[in-house]
Amino acid sequence: MDEQELISRSKDGDVEAFNLLVEQYQRLVYNLALRMLGNAEAAEDASQDTFLSAYKAIGKFRGGSFKSWVLHIAANSCRDKQRVARRYHIISLDTLLLETDDLPQDNNTESPEDYALRRELGRFLNEGLAHLPEDQRLVVILSDVQGLRYEEVAQVTGSSLGTVKSRLNRGRTRLRDFLLQREELLPSKFRLNK
Amino acid sequence: MFRGKGEPLCRKVRGMLSEYIDNSLNSEDKSFIERHLETCEACSKELESLRVTVQLLHRMPEVSVPRSFTVTVPQPRRESAFGPSSLRWLRPATAIVAIVLVVLLMGDFLHAFENNAGVNSGRGDATYVQLAPSYAATEQQTMVTVPGIMGQMSLATAKAVGYTEYAMVPSSPVSQPITQPIPSVLGDEGPTGAQVIVRGEAGVGWPLRQTEIGLGAVVFVLLALIIFARRQRTKGIGAG
Repeated sequence: MDEQELISRSKDGDVEAFNLLVEQYQRLVYNLALRMLGNAEAAEDASQDTFLSAYKAIGKFRGGSFKSWVLHIAANSCRDKQRVARRYHIISLDTLLLETDDLPQDNNTESPEDYALRRELGRFLNEGLAHLPEDQRLVVILSDVQGLRYEEVAQVTGSSLGTVKSRLNRGRTRLRDFLLQREELLPSKFRLNK
Repeated sequence: MFRGKGEPLCRKVRGMLSEYIDNSLNSEDKSFIERHLETCEACSKELESLRVTVQLLHRMPEVSVPRSFTVTVPQPRRESAFGPSSLRWLRPATAIVAIVLVVLLMGDFLHAFENNAGVNSGRGDATYVQLAPSYAATEQQTMVTVPGIMGQMSLATAKAVGYTEYAMVPSSPVSQPITQPIPSVLGDEGPTGAQVIVRGEAGVGWPLRQTEIGLGAVVFVLLALIIFARRQRTKGIGAG
């Protein structure tokens, strides 16, 4: 069953069809939430809120990219969580040492050493992302971590293309500066000034 | 981070490096950048460091989901009379009853419902009485109650004090309605043959106070049902 049919059946109230869409996008949504919030528990809540909101609002989905639509809801859920965290002074930076206990990307080619290095790098980059302003962090994650095109990023963030490009440029530069300042902590393989 | 000599030109180039890395510049801008990079080492270093940063971000490991985020919808069940859909009629019904109650309370406060025709008040303590000519002789023995005054007093006393509204005590010897016309006992003039009007507490033809209390209770119950129905509605959809 293709995505359009799943969406159409979801609009008719078929929760099983909707849950197939959830299974398809939950990893993307959870990873966005985790990197935006830096807290596994908050990311779980935001992800669940995202799919509950999406199910309630599926009737209003007017076509286009379902991925962008779901990520737009996810970005809003993250914003809500961040607002609450700010209100109650919840500091989430501790989380940035995330449990990236994921399987190696290329099971056949990546050595255990490379996998360990990549995990180390992941921790370091998460810390760098946490130092970005929220609007820049969202754009950098969507574009460079999740691989969305500029147009998709603009749809998710509800911004113009020019704003997306500008935030991406500033976000990358700021992250690069963060990495350069702590370059000695980076695995030598990944140092910027070789 | 990397300072070039031609600062204004370098600033312009660095503002476009991100798009250059993503290969999303038009050919004219792309050529402009490349020409500049050939002569500016600082901007070349800037480009290289940004490119490595983007490559590092591309290599970020993805995290597995700790659990499924599928949603569940409760099985369709027979909705109670006060389920979520009952909000459609609960709200207007509550509004109507509340408006009626307010009108009644205002009318009561302004004595708009008092009935000078002297109909039965509904409490049974006010009677439309016509007294016989012999009433004057027995008014000392006729006991009455006056609204707002505790206890009983003789009709003669009530008249002497100046009360114009009183109710006959049922055991009074002249409390039974007598059809023969008598003089009025209103005021100090004594019986004149007109009808005697004795008004009850509320002075209306129906139990106003009880109606107000009843409507208040109905409004309270309806509000409770609205709160209940709203909670039922929010429970509808949940996590899987």
